[in-house]
Parts: sequence; C-alpha cells; structure tokens
Amino acid sequence: MELSKRNLIMVLLAWLTSISLLSLVAASYYLELHKEKQVCEKYEDMYNELVENYTDLLNSYQNLVQKYESEKQNLTELLEQYQGCIMRVDICIDYGEWNGTVVWYNNTIVPLGCNLLEATKKVAIVNSTYWPAYQASFVDAINGVWNQGACYWMWYRWDTEENLWVYGDCGADRYTLTNNEILMWRYEIPSYP
Amino acid sequence: MIMKCKRVAVLTVMTALCVGIQLTPRPPNVEFTSLICFLTGFLFGAWFGGLLGALTMFINGFLSPWGFAGIIMPFQMLGMALMGLVGGIYRKSLGENFRLSKTLNLEAACLAAFLTLIYDIITNVGFAILFNVEIIVALALGVWFMVVHVVSNTVLFGAVFSSLVKVIGDLAGENVWSYQKEIL
Repeated sequence: MELSKRNLIMVLLAWLTSISLLSLVAASYYLELHKEKQVCEKYEDMYNELVENYTDLLNSYQNLVQKYESEKQNLTELLEQYQGCIMRVDICIDYGEWNGTVVWYNNTIVPLGCNLLEATKKVAIVNSTYWPAYQASFVDAINGVWNQGACYWMWYRWDTEENLWVYGDCGADRYTLTNNEILMWRYEIPSYP
Repeated sequence: MIMKCKRVAVLTVMTALCVGIQLTPRPPNVEFTSLICFLTGFLFGAWFGGLLGALTMFINGFLSPWGFAGIIMPFQMLGMALMGLVGGIYRKSLGENFRLSKTLNLEAACLAAFLTLIYDIITNVGFAILFNVEIIVALALGVWFMVVHVVSNTVLFGAVFSSLVKVIGDLAGENVWSYQKEIL
C-alpha cells in the first residue's frame, strides 16, 4: 500500500514536471511568436513606407520622363527647322610631329556657308593671326600646340574623286566648307610645293 | 572526534569529485553533480547531501568555465542543496529494508526530473529578480536549457542510480548506513 502511495507521488511529480516543461516551452514559443509579430509589424510598416517612397519616386521619374520627351520633341522640331541651315563635316586633328596623336571629330554640325577656321574653332581652341595683306588668317596654334621651328599647322581636304588628301590652297578662313566634307589639320614640317 | 574527521573527509572528497566533474568540459546543462549530491544525501543523510550540494555550487561559482556565477550563486547553492536534502529524505521514506530494483531507478528518475526543474526554476527566478527581468520571460528564454538539463538528469538517474547505490554500498560495507545515523 505504501509502495503504491510513493509510486503515485512519483507519477504525480513526473506529470507535474512534464506539464511545467511543456507550459514553459509553450510560453517560450508564445514569446517568440510575439517577438516575431512585432518584428513583422515593424517590417510591414517599413515596407509600406518604402512602397510610398517608391511610388513618389516613380511619379517623379515619370514626370521627368514626360518633361524629357516634351523637351526632346521641341528640340527635334527646332532641329528640323534648322536642318536646311546646317551641314555636317568631319574634322581630323593630327598632332603628327608633336606626339603623333590623331583625333577625329565626325559629324560636326556647322552653319551652312561656314569656313574651315570657324568649324575648327567649334572642336578645338585655335589661335590665329589675320594677315590683311593676304586677307586671310594664319593658324598659330591648335589646342595649345604652337607653330615652332620648322613645324606648322597645315590643313588638307579629302579629295573624294582621287581618294587622297590634298593640301589646302588658301587660308582656313577663306575656304568655305560643303556638306559632308572631310578635312584635316596636321602638325608637320610642310612639304607644300 | 574520529567520526567527525571521517565526515569531513567524506565531504571533502565528494566536494572535490563534484567540482572536478563540474569543471570537466561538457555540453551546457549536462552535469553529474546533481546525481552525486542526491546519491550522497541518499547514502550519508539529508543534511550531509544538502551541505555537499551547497558547498559544491559555492566553489563552482568561482571556478566555473562559464565564468563567475556572481550573485546567482546563492540560488544555485539553494537548488543543489535541495537535491542532496531530498536524496536523504527519499532514503528515509524507503525504510530500512528497501530493494535495489528497476523501480528504484524509475523513482529516482522521476525525482531527478522534478528536482532539476525546481533547481532551474530557482536559478532562473533568482536571475529574474536580480536583473529585473519578468519571471516568465526569464523562464521562457531558458526553457531549452531547462529541457536539456531535465532530460539528461532523468536519463542519468534512471540509468545508474541503483547500480551506484549497490557499488558504494558494497565498497563501504554496512558502515555506509551508520554514517547517516550519526550525521542525522
């Protein structure tokens, strides 16, 4: 009888222990769940804020794109208006005797009837001297590279029929460009005939 | 006087054993101190077991590889003393002529589970009070350590308790029961 009573107490203790542990595990999970819920709410708020910010940003971007499109259209119309007043030329600057670098400025837009000196000034810094006796300008330097010793800036035009470079036969400001013409400035010791 | 020396010697040896095992590298919350304290209480008396538990946790508080126990130490001492005390009380409840059987192991396992839970509750509540944490939060946060502790002690007691009682009883002869009477 006593043994049974002790056994009963032991079973009761074991049951009590199990219940307590299970309750604590449940409490632990509940706390974890509560914590996760709070974190979830925090992230939800952050997400909503992010979506709001993103929407604002998207609207701003769309407005900007709209403005850009509108500006582009205006400029295209303007360009079409001026299409008849401009031409395109390819200009090459060959630093030859200076450092051998060759730089091309293709499709340079210049006004119709523009001369070579004006066109060159659009792509480079040019120093020139006007000689009244010749009624022409003489180029002294391009992009800081000055005529020095026997080296001078000479200009050429591309002869499309002969497919070769031809020396310019007048001052650069005296030569009027035509559409799609190809020209070159070369820093060299002239071999002009 | 001679008996007092014996008691001191036994207490010292058992404490050294407990502290040594406590300091041995082991998984967190898997320990043998509870078993030794309970067993000591069972063999040498409730007060003796309680004293061993308290002394072991006191020394362990300073030397533990997990760091100085600090102000949690009194709660650990209380919990472990309870383990030794109940060991002695359990021995008394069995009477003079008890049999070493599987039932004893099973009962010891049930007691171990309950006492380990009480120990963990005492230490966690102590922590909660000292560090101003809600008690339920402290208990819930430490629940998996508690589960490991309870399960490991239950298995340990269930597996070896009666065998250890037999081995120590055989080694010490009948004197082992006389220590208890003298102490109590």
